[in-house]
Amino acid sequence: MSNIPKDLRYTEDHEYVRTDADPTVVRIGVTDYAQGELGDVVFLDLPKAGATFGKKDVFGTIEAVKAVSELYCPIAGTVVESNKALEADPALVNRDPYGDGWMIKLKLKTPADLDGLLKADAYAKHIGE
Amino acid sequence: MATDEQLLDAAVRTGAKSLRLYRWTPPTLSFGRNEPVEALYDLDLIARRAIATVRRPTGGKAVWHEHELTYAVAAPIAEFGSLRAAYREIHRRLASALTALGVSTTVAPDRRAVRPSDRPTSCFATPLGGEILVAGRKVVGSAQVRRRQALLQHGSLLLDGSQALVSAVSRRPAAVSGETTLAAVLGRPVSFAEVAAAIVSAWPSGVARGAVEC
Repeated sequence: MSNIPKDLRYTEDHEYVRTDADPTVVRIGVTDYAQGELGDVVFLDLPKAGATFGKKDVFGTIEAVKAVSELYCPIAGTVVESNKALEADPALVNRDPYGDGWMIKLKLKTPADLDGLLKADAYAKHIGE
Repeated sequence: MATDEQLLDAAVRTGAKSLRLYRWTPPTLSFGRNEPVEALYDLDLIARRAIATVRRPTGGKAVWHEHELTYAVAAPIAEFGSLRAAYREIHRRLASALTALGVSTTVAPDRRAVRPSDRPTSCFATPLGGEILVAGRKVVGSAQVRRRQALLQHGSLLLDGSQALVSAVSRRPAAVSGETTLAAVLGRPVSFAEVAAAIVSAWPSGVARGAVEC
Protein backbone atom coordinates (compact mmCIF):
# COMPACT_ATOMS: atom_id res chain seq x y z
CA MET A 1 0.00 0.00 0.00
CA SER A 2 1.30 3.44 -0.84
CA ASN A 3 1.10 6.51 1.40
CA ILE A 4 -1.83 8.82 0.51
CA PRO A 5 -2.05 11.69 3.03
CA LYS A 6 -5.61 12.78 3.73
CA ASP A 7 -4.82 16.49 3.67
CA LEU A 8 -3.60 16.64 0.06
CA ARG A 9 -5.39 16.78 -3.29
CA TYR A 10 -4.50 14.54 -6.23
CA THR A 11 -4.81 14.01 -9.98
CA GLU A 12 -5.37 10.85 -11.98
CA ASP A 13 -1.88 11.45 -13.41
CA HIS A 14 -0.39 10.93 -9.93
CA GLU A 15 0.53 14.49 -9.01
CA TYR A 16 -0.38 15.87 -5.60
CA VAL A 17 -1.18 19.42 -4.48
CA ARG A 18 -0.36 20.62 -0.97
CA THR A 19 -1.72 23.91 0.33
CA ASP A 20 0.37 25.83 2.83
CA ALA A 21 -0.31 28.87 5.00
CA ASP A 22 -0.98 31.03 1.92
CA PRO A 23 -3.98 29.35 0.27
CA THR A 24 -3.11 30.86 -3.12
CA VAL A 25 0.30 29.12 -3.34
CA VAL A 26 0.55 25.33 -3.47
CA ARG A 27 3.36 22.78 -3.59
CA ILE A 28 3.20 20.16 -6.32
CA GLY A 29 4.97 16.84 -6.64
CA VAL A 30 4.29 13.22 -7.54
CA THR A 31 2.67 10.71 -5.23
CA ASP A 32 4.25 7.90 -3.29
CA TYR A 33 2.54 5.47 -5.67
CA ALA A 34 4.09 7.25 -8.67
CA GLN A 35 7.61 7.23 -7.28
CA GLY A 36 7.24 3.56 -6.48
CA GLU A 37 6.16 2.80 -10.02
CA LEU A 38 8.98 4.82 -11.54
CA GLY A 39 11.77 3.40 -9.44
CA ASP A 40 14.92 5.37 -8.66
CA VAL A 41 14.52 8.93 -9.92
CA VAL A 42 17.73 10.07 -11.62
CA PHE A 43 16.84 13.34 -13.32
CA LEU A 44 14.19 16.06 -13.27
CA ASP A 45 13.59 18.85 -15.76
CA LEU A 46 11.58 21.51 -13.95
CA PRO A 47 10.42 24.99 -15.00
CA LYS A 48 11.86 28.30 -13.85
CA ALA A 49 10.01 30.80 -11.68
CA GLY A 50 7.62 32.88 -13.76
CA ALA A 51 6.55 30.07 -16.08
CA THR A 52 2.78 29.89 -16.49
CA PHE A 53 0.80 26.70 -16.99
CA GLY A 54 -2.80 25.75 -17.58
CA LYS A 55 -4.43 22.70 -16.08
CA LYS A 56 -2.93 19.49 -17.56
CA ASP A 57 -0.12 21.38 -19.32
CA VAL A 58 3.25 19.61 -19.24
CA PHE A 59 5.39 21.43 -16.67
CA GLY A 60 8.41 19.14 -16.74
CA THR A 61 9.76 15.65 -17.13
CA ILE A 62 10.97 13.05 -14.68
CA GLU A 63 13.48 10.32 -15.53
CA ALA A 64 13.69 7.21 -13.42
CA VAL A 65 15.44 3.94 -14.06
CA LYS A 66 12.35 2.41 -15.63
CA ALA A 67 10.89 5.31 -17.55
CA VAL A 68 10.76 8.92 -18.58
CA SER A 69 7.40 10.53 -17.88
CA GLU A 70 5.91 13.93 -18.44
CA LEU A 71 4.69 15.90 -15.44
CA TYR A 72 1.27 17.51 -15.76
CA CYS A 73 0.22 20.65 -13.95
CA PRO A 74 -2.79 19.75 -11.78
CA ILE A 75 -4.13 23.29 -11.75
CA ALA A 76 -3.57 26.59 -13.59
CA GLY A 77 -1.04 29.02 -12.19
CA THR A 78 2.42 30.59 -12.26
CA VAL A 79 5.58 28.96 -10.90
CA VAL A 80 7.08 30.92 -8.02
CA GLU A 81 9.83 28.43 -7.18
CA SER A 82 11.17 25.06 -8.26
CA ASN A 83 12.92 22.74 -5.83
CA LYS A 84 16.64 23.30 -6.41
CA ALA A 85 17.52 20.48 -4.00
CA LEU A 86 16.31 17.99 -6.61
CA GLU A 87 19.10 18.99 -9.00
CA ALA A 88 21.72 17.52 -6.67
CA ASP A 89 19.57 14.79 -5.18
CA PRO A 90 16.65 13.74 -7.43
CA ALA A 91 16.15 10.64 -5.26
CA LEU A 92 14.47 12.94 -2.71
CA VAL A 93 11.38 12.22 -4.78
CA ASN A 94 11.73 8.56 -3.78
CA ARG A 95 12.66 9.12 -0.17
CA ASP A 96 10.22 11.89 0.72
CA PRO A 97 7.74 12.55 -2.10
CA TYR A 98 5.36 14.63 0.00
CA GLY A 99 8.07 16.53 1.88
CA ASP A 100 11.55 17.40 0.62
CA GLY A 101 10.74 15.81 -2.75
CA TRP A 102 8.27 18.53 -3.78
CA MET A 103 8.86 19.89 -7.30
CA ILE A 104 7.31 23.32 -7.80
CA LYS A 105 5.46 26.00 -5.88
CA LEU A 106 2.61 27.41 -7.93
CA LYS A 107 0.69 30.67 -7.49
CA LEU A 108 -2.85 29.66 -8.34
CA LYS A 109 -4.75 31.51 -11.02
CA THR A 110 -8.08 30.56 -9.44
CA PRO A 111 -7.81 29.03 -5.95
CA ALA A 112 -11.31 27.64 -6.22
CA ASP A 113 -10.01 25.25 -8.89
CA LEU A 114 -8.59 23.17 -6.05
CA ASP A 115 -12.08 21.83 -5.48
CA GLY A 116 -11.90 20.04 -8.81
CA LEU A 117 -9.01 17.80 -7.71
CA LEU A 118 -9.32 14.33 -6.23
CA LYS A 119 -9.48 13.79 -2.50
CA ALA A 120 -7.37 11.06 -0.91
CA ASP A 121 -10.08 8.41 -0.92
CA ALA A 122 -10.89 9.02 -4.60
CA TYR A 123 -7.20 8.82 -5.53
CA ALA A 124 -6.81 5.61 -3.53
CA LYS A 125 -9.70 4.15 -5.51
CA HIS A 126 -8.12 5.35 -8.76
CA ILE A 127 -4.93 3.41 -8.08
CA GLY A 128 -6.82 0.41 -6.79
CA GLU A 129 -5.99 0.72 -3.11
CA MET B 1 15.07 6.51 -32.93
CA ALA B 2 13.06 8.96 -35.01
CA THR B 3 10.87 6.12 -36.24
CA ASP B 4 10.28 4.94 -32.66
CA GLU B 5 9.19 8.46 -31.76
CA GLN B 6 6.83 8.49 -34.73
CA LEU B 7 5.25 5.30 -33.41
CA LEU B 8 4.79 6.97 -30.03
CA ASP B 9 3.26 10.02 -31.70
CA ALA B 10 0.83 7.76 -33.55
CA ALA B 11 -0.13 6.04 -30.28
CA VAL B 12 -0.75 9.45 -28.68
CA ARG B 13 -2.77 10.80 -31.61
CA THR B 14 -4.70 7.77 -32.81
CA GLY B 15 -4.26 5.02 -30.23
CA ALA B 16 -2.26 2.94 -32.71
CA LYS B 17 -0.51 -0.15 -31.32
CA SER B 18 2.83 -1.06 -32.87
CA LEU B 19 5.61 -3.59 -32.58
CA ARG B 20 8.77 -2.71 -34.52
CA LEU B 21 11.81 -4.99 -34.76
CA TYR B 22 14.96 -3.61 -36.33
CA ARG B 23 18.76 -3.46 -36.37
CA TRP B 24 21.37 -0.79 -36.92
CA THR B 25 23.45 0.25 -39.92
CA PRO B 26 26.03 1.42 -39.08
CA PRO B 27 26.46 0.10 -35.52
CA THR B 28 25.61 3.00 -33.22
CA LEU B 29 26.17 4.14 -29.66
CA SER B 30 22.96 5.53 -28.14
CA PHE B 31 22.85 7.80 -25.11
CA GLY B 32 20.02 8.14 -22.63
CA ARG B 33 17.79 11.17 -22.95
CA ASN B 34 19.31 13.09 -20.05
CA GLU B 35 22.81 11.66 -19.82
CA PRO B 36 25.49 14.36 -19.45
CA VAL B 37 27.54 12.86 -22.28
CA GLU B 38 30.49 15.27 -22.09
CA ALA B 39 31.03 14.34 -18.46
CA LEU B 40 30.48 10.62 -18.87
CA TYR B 41 32.10 9.80 -22.20
CA ASP B 42 35.28 10.62 -24.12
CA LEU B 43 33.73 12.43 -27.08
CA ASP B 44 37.14 12.97 -28.73
CA LEU B 45 37.75 9.24 -28.71
CA ILE B 46 34.27 8.62 -30.09
CA ALA B 47 34.96 11.10 -32.90
CA ARG B 48 38.42 9.66 -33.68
CA ARG B 49 36.95 6.20 -33.98
CA ALA B 50 34.12 7.57 -36.14
CA ILE B 51 31.51 5.96 -33.91
CA ALA B 52 27.95 6.89 -34.87
CA THR B 53 25.90 8.23 -31.97
CA VAL B 54 22.28 9.06 -31.30
CA ARG B 55 20.25 10.38 -28.37
CA ARG B 56 17.29 8.26 -27.25
CA PRO B 57 13.90 9.71 -26.24
CA THR B 58 14.02 7.28 -23.33
CA GLY B 59 16.20 7.45 -20.27
CA GLY B 60 18.88 5.14 -18.99
CA LYS B 61 22.51 4.60 -19.89
CA ALA B 62 24.52 4.15 -23.05
CA VAL B 63 23.97 1.13 -25.28
CA TRP B 64 26.16 -0.15 -28.10
CA HIS B 65 23.86 -1.34 -30.87
CA GLU B 66 25.70 -3.82 -33.04
CA HIS B 67 24.88 -7.51 -32.79
CA GLU B 68 21.35 -7.13 -31.54
CA LEU B 69 17.67 -7.10 -32.31
CA THR B 70 16.06 -3.84 -31.26
CA TYR B 71 12.39 -3.87 -30.37
CA ALA B 72 10.01 -0.95 -30.01
CA VAL B 73 6.50 -1.18 -28.62
CA ALA B 74 4.17 1.82 -28.81
CA ALA B 75 0.62 1.67 -27.51
CA PRO B 76 -2.01 3.47 -25.45
CA ILE B 77 -1.23 3.18 -21.75
CA ALA B 78 -4.54 1.38 -21.26
CA GLU B 79 -3.16 -1.49 -23.34
CA PHE B 80 -0.59 -2.39 -20.68
CA GLY B 81 -1.64 -0.49 -17.54
CA SER B 82 0.80 0.77 -14.94
CA LEU B 83 4.45 1.31 -15.65
CA ARG B 84 5.59 -1.83 -13.87
CA ALA B 85 2.75 -3.83 -15.39
CA ALA B 86 3.79 -2.69 -18.87
CA TYR B 87 7.41 -3.50 -18.18
CA ARG B 88 6.55 -6.98 -17.00
CA GLU B 89 4.04 -7.77 -19.76
CA ILE B 90 6.32 -6.70 -22.61
CA HIS B 91 9.19 -8.64 -21.07
CA ARG B 92 6.92 -11.63 -20.51
CA ARG B 93 6.21 -11.69 -24.26
CA LEU B 94 9.89 -11.38 -25.10
CA ALA B 95 10.71 -14.12 -22.59
CA SER B 96 8.11 -16.32 -24.24
CA ALA B 97 9.88 -15.82 -27.56
CA LEU B 98 13.23 -16.70 -25.98
CA THR B 99 11.75 -19.83 -24.45
CA ALA B 100 10.61 -20.88 -27.92
CA LEU B 101 14.22 -20.51 -29.05
CA GLY B 102 15.33 -22.85 -26.27
CA VAL B 103 16.57 -20.21 -23.81
CA SER B 104 15.69 -20.60 -20.13
CA THR B 105 14.75 -17.22 -18.65
CA THR B 106 13.86 -15.74 -15.27
CA VAL B 107 12.48 -12.34 -14.31
CA ALA B 108 14.57 -10.08 -12.07
CA PRO B 109 12.90 -9.35 -8.70
CA ASP B 110 12.15 -5.80 -7.61
CA ARG B 111 14.91 -4.30 -5.50
CA ARG B 112 15.47 -1.41 -3.18
CA ALA B 113 16.46 1.97 -4.55
CA VAL B 114 20.12 2.88 -4.83
CA ARG B 115 21.64 6.33 -5.09
CA PRO B 116 22.09 7.53 -8.69
CA SER B 117 25.78 8.14 -8.02
CA ASP B 118 26.20 4.44 -7.33
CA ARG B 119 24.84 3.50 -10.71
CA PRO B 120 27.20 1.99 -13.25
CA THR B 121 27.49 3.51 -16.70
CA SER B 122 26.41 0.61 -18.88
CA CYS B 123 22.71 -0.06 -19.37
CA PHE B 124 23.39 -3.77 -19.02
CA ALA B 125 25.39 -3.69 -15.79
CA THR B 126 22.48 -4.04 -13.35
CA PRO B 127 19.11 -5.75 -13.77
CA LEU B 128 15.92 -4.00 -12.67
CA GLY B 129 12.76 -5.61 -11.40
CA GLY B 130 10.79 -7.18 -14.24
CA GLU B 131 13.75 -7.51 -16.59
CA ILE B 132 14.68 -10.73 -18.33
CA LEU B 133 17.62 -12.67 -16.99
CA VAL B 134 19.37 -15.64 -18.51
CA ALA B 135 21.62 -17.49 -16.07
CA GLY B 136 21.43 -14.41 -13.84
CA ARG B 137 22.59 -11.99 -16.54
CA LYS B 138 20.72 -9.45 -18.63
CA VAL B 139 20.06 -10.34 -22.23
CA VAL B 140 17.58 -7.50 -22.84
CA GLY B 141 18.03 -3.84 -21.87
CA SER B 142 14.82 -1.80 -22.01
CA ALA B 143 13.62 1.73 -21.39
CA GLN B 144 10.22 3.38 -21.49
CA VAL B 145 8.84 6.86 -22.09
CA ARG B 146 5.27 7.91 -21.35
CA ARG B 147 3.65 10.82 -23.11
CA ARG B 148 0.03 11.75 -22.49
CA GLN B 149 -1.98 8.53 -22.73
CA ALA B 150 0.59 6.49 -24.61
CA LEU B 151 3.88 4.73 -24.01
CA LEU B 152 6.94 3.75 -25.99
CA GLN B 153 9.13 0.96 -24.67
CA HIS B 154 12.14 -0.05 -26.65
CA GLY B 155 15.16 -2.15 -25.94
CA SER B 156 18.05 -4.24 -27.14
CA LEU B 157 18.04 -8.03 -27.25
CA LEU B 158 21.68 -9.05 -27.47
CA LEU B 159 22.37 -11.62 -30.16
CA ASP B 160 26.16 -11.64 -29.91
CA GLY B 161 29.14 -9.35 -29.25
CA SER B 162 29.49 -7.28 -26.11
CA GLN B 163 28.99 -3.86 -24.55
CA ALA B 164 32.74 -3.46 -24.11
CA LEU B 165 32.73 -0.40 -26.35
CA VAL B 166 30.62 1.48 -23.80
CA SER B 167 33.27 0.88 -21.17
CA ALA B 168 36.03 1.77 -23.63
CA VAL B 169 34.61 5.25 -24.25
CA SER B 170 33.47 5.91 -20.67
CA ARG B 171 35.32 8.32 -18.42
CA ARG B 172 34.28 6.34 -15.34
CA PRO B 173 35.81 3.01 -14.39
CA ALA B 174 34.08 0.13 -16.13
CA ALA B 175 31.37 -1.68 -14.23
CA VAL B 176 31.46 -5.44 -14.03
CA SER B 177 29.79 -6.83 -17.14
CA GLY B 178 26.24 -7.89 -16.37
CA GLU B 179 25.08 -8.99 -19.78
CA THR B 180 25.08 -12.14 -21.83
CA THR B 181 24.05 -12.88 -25.41
CA LEU B 182 21.88 -15.44 -27.11
CA ALA B 183 24.87 -16.80 -29.00
CA ALA B 184 26.73 -17.34 -25.73
CA VAL B 185 23.76 -19.01 -24.09
CA LEU B 186 22.84 -21.26 -26.99
CA GLY B 187 26.39 -21.96 -28.11
CA ARG B 188 25.65 -21.16 -31.73
CA PRO B 189 25.12 -18.13 -33.95
CA VAL B 190 21.60 -16.72 -33.64
CA SER B 191 20.17 -14.73 -36.53
CA PHE B 192 18.08 -11.59 -36.41
CA ALA B 193 15.45 -13.30 -38.56
CA GLU B 194 14.87 -16.27 -36.25
CA VAL B 195 14.57 -14.10 -33.17
CA ALA B 196 12.24 -11.67 -34.96
CA ALA B 197 10.05 -14.57 -36.05
CA ALA B 198 9.88 -15.89 -32.49
CA ILE B 199 8.87 -12.48 -31.13
CA VAL B 200 6.20 -11.98 -33.77
CA SER B 201 4.80 -15.41 -32.91
CA ALA B 202 4.73 -14.52 -29.21
CA TRP B 203 2.87 -11.26 -29.81
CA PRO B 204 -0.93 -11.15 -29.65
CA SER B 205 -2.89 -10.36 -32.77
CA GLY B 206 -4.35 -6.90 -33.34
CA VAL B 207 -0.99 -5.15 -33.23
CA ALA B 208 0.69 -3.64 -36.27
CA ARG B 209 3.42 -6.21 -36.74
CA GLY B 210 4.51 -5.50 -40.27
CA ALA B 211 7.49 -3.41 -39.28
CA VAL B 212 10.16 -6.09 -39.15
CA GLU B 213 13.17 -4.41 -40.71
CA CYS B 214 15.84 -6.87 -41.72
